[in-house]
Amino acid sequence: MILSLMFFTFSFAFYLITALLYLGHWVFKKKWLGQTATAMCFVALGSTTMILISRASESGHAPFSNLYESMMLFVWATNLGYLIMEYRHKFKVIGSVVMTIEFLAMLSASLLPYRFKSVEPLNPALQNKWHWLMSALAPFGLEKYAIGWLDFHVFTTFVGYAGFAISFGLSIIFVIKEKFEVSSKPNSFVDAFPDSRILDELSYRSIAWGFPFLAVGIVSGAVWANYAWGTYWSWDPKETWSLITWFIYAAYLHARVTRGWKGKRAAYLSIAGFLAVIFLYWGVSFILPGLHAYA
Amino acid sequence: MEGNKPWYKGSIWYFLNSLKLTLTVLITLAVVSIFGTVVEQNQPVENYVAAYGEKWTKFIVYVHANDLFHSWWFLALLTLLAVNIIVCTFERFPPKWKSLLNHKPEGKFDSKLIERFSNNQTVTVSAGSDAVKARMEAALRKKKFKFVTLGSRGDWCFYAWKGAVGRLGSDFTHISLLLILLGAIVGSFAGYKDYKAVYVGGTLSMPKADFEVKLNKFWIDYYESGQIRQYNSLLSVIENGKEVMQKQIWVNEPLYYKGVRFYQSSYGMAWSKVEDARLSLKKKNKDTPEKPVVIPWETLTKIPDSKYSVKVVGYTADFAYDEKTNQVYSKSPEASNPAVRLEVYEGDRLVSTPWLFMKYPGIFPAIPNADDDLVFVTFKPTMYSGLSINKDPGTNIVWAGSIVMGIGFYLAFFVFHRRIWVQVKDSGKSTEVKIGGMINKNNFVLEKDLKEIVDSVTSD
Repeated sequence: MILSLMFFTFSFAFYLITALLYLGHWVFKKKWLGQTATAMCFVALGSTTMILISRASESGHAPFSNLYESMMLFVWATNLGYLIMEYRHKFKVIGSVVMTIEFLAMLSASLLPYRFKSVEPLNPALQNKWHWLMSALAPFGLEKYAIGWLDFHVFTTFVGYAGFAISFGLSIIFVIKEKFEVSSKPNSFVDAFPDSRILDELSYRSIAWGFPFLAVGIVSGAVWANYAWGTYWSWDPKETWSLITWFIYAAYLHARVTRGWKGKRAAYLSIAGFLAVIFLYWGVSFILPGLHAYA
Repeated sequence: MEGNKPWYKGSIWYFLNSLKLTLTVLITLAVVSIFGTVVEQNQPVENYVAAYGEKWTKFIVYVHANDLFHSWWFLALLTLLAVNIIVCTFERFPPKWKSLLNHKPEGKFDSKLIERFSNNQTVTVSAGSDAVKARMEAALRKKKFKFVTLGSRGDWCFYAWKGAVGRLGSDFTHISLLLILLGAIVGSFAGYKDYKAVYVGGTLSMPKADFEVKLNKFWIDYYESGQIRQYNSLLSVIENGKEVMQKQIWVNEPLYYKGVRFYQSSYGMAWSKVEDARLSLKKKNKDTPEKPVVIPWETLTKIPDSKYSVKVVGYTADFAYDEKTNQVYSKSPEASNPAVRLEVYEGDRLVSTPWLFMKYPGIFPAIPNADDDLVFVTFKPTMYSGLSINKDPGTNIVWAGSIVMGIGFYLAFFVFHRRIWVQVKDSGKSTEVKIGGMINKNNFVLEKDLKEIVDSVTSD
């Protein structure tokens, strides 16, 4: 209990500092601020990893079973995804938006009511481990570390969400950047962002990661439901909203093939898609009751 | 080829093939699905009237918004999407497949082509054209490109390509969606779903299968905190009178036998049967009853220190009596007013068949005109386990679809078709290298490839 809470408190501070450093780097354009920001981003990632690990050892199962735990997974995956992008493309200014999203995610997780945060044993419906994995790990005495459908389903879904979150950040920057490019007004803050063409491409790449992961998350959920309860799909609000999100991003990917839909319209679709994700994740959990009531 | 079109390729075909249709259907599906989550589904009509008023309820029922996901028009939209996918696959997959199989890299090589790509550059290398050619070949090989070398000494041309199979990714993904849909349809038409409650010790005969399932045991596991950990049933499969399989099932772990799955779905206490009843003998001259005796269900048992034997022949969890039909029934499945029916024997003679009530001891004498009375103290319930039964022959198709989907996503999002054209031309002391290319998606990758190739050609 205490350990994961401690790491949460640390991470909360780390994300605030990281976001401020990236924002500082963007505003003051100091190289050392950018370098410190990246370093802090790694520290935050390590700290978030420790939340997940300590949480897992406290609860005795993979930390994917309630809203708070899945938030930590989301923050972790978004951070990792961002760092990979920064490593590959070296655009540190994007960090100021993505890390602000990360900080807001931490803030909202900290504001969750206690019943969404507490360490709970898994209820009967969520207990599932893959037999083949258990028997593969058994010779080493590690079978309690075997994972199952729950872990796979939640993990893939949240990697998907992380991709969409990054794309959302990029799309917001795109919309602003594009406005200034069209009017060709110089603005030192906006000029610091990469070209809209690059933002569009990066946004697409994030969705190209998010979309298959969400799809695998949805399909694995359906396959698991059929295995465990004998029904693939019940049209419960969470399922339906995940499908809505998936439709929006499918539309995004298909739209991008046509020339007229690249850029601005694609950016709006990506923003709409992430708003759907937020509703799918938080709205459905709090407003619409259903099978996924526990997360 | 033109004018030789198959009969079906009319305007309807092109409409069904269009990307516009795809986008329209996808966005329409997304928007109408939102209504399906906002308006609660499959409620009694009164609930809609209470929530939305009479006029809106009429509208909701008229457009099937109360069962939106099973309405004809929602299914029609899904069908339209499926048809769109099928037509697109028909239209795009065969030509792509053919061009993959007979890839002819030696086409007309036009060096002007290189300058038309948005990704192109020209560099001058201070080395002989032969050396540059060798470097170029090494660089392409290192980047795992396949390539052909054309032209002649002093004016070499290269055409290099990689990841052409990535173009099939979208088709694989589309086919996988169709497979998953097909699996779900096969499952819902060729399979069946059922629910049965079985008493512990009881058997479930399967009318549509040639085996029986016996429930040996039902129990609940708890965490130390008292929360429920798991519901378990121990089942045996009996075929031709022989037990062929035994398995413990729990939520998330069904029994699978001959295509049929048995899921742990509910449990409870039986309302018409008990494991045993505990009865006490009460002698007239004593105030307190004797120690309770365990009387197993339907087993004649002697009551110690008396001349009676009893048998438990009936049980009702929530006793009620219908005066019109003169019948005893259970008002609810809960043990709110448990009662047992006994047969009391004195020697071989049946002396009475009383109902005894656990909550109302002694309101009726168990044996008329006798010195001894019987008190129903408590009982051990017979548990039943509720099993969902499901036969789904579509599961394997869905699995196949999932695997194809994985391959499709990998090809579509992580394998990029790159084509690069290069001209290496001798220009006196130095050599001019023109390089350009295209990629089907993810321009960054191509930029990086070109940069690395140029770097390794220009550096000594």
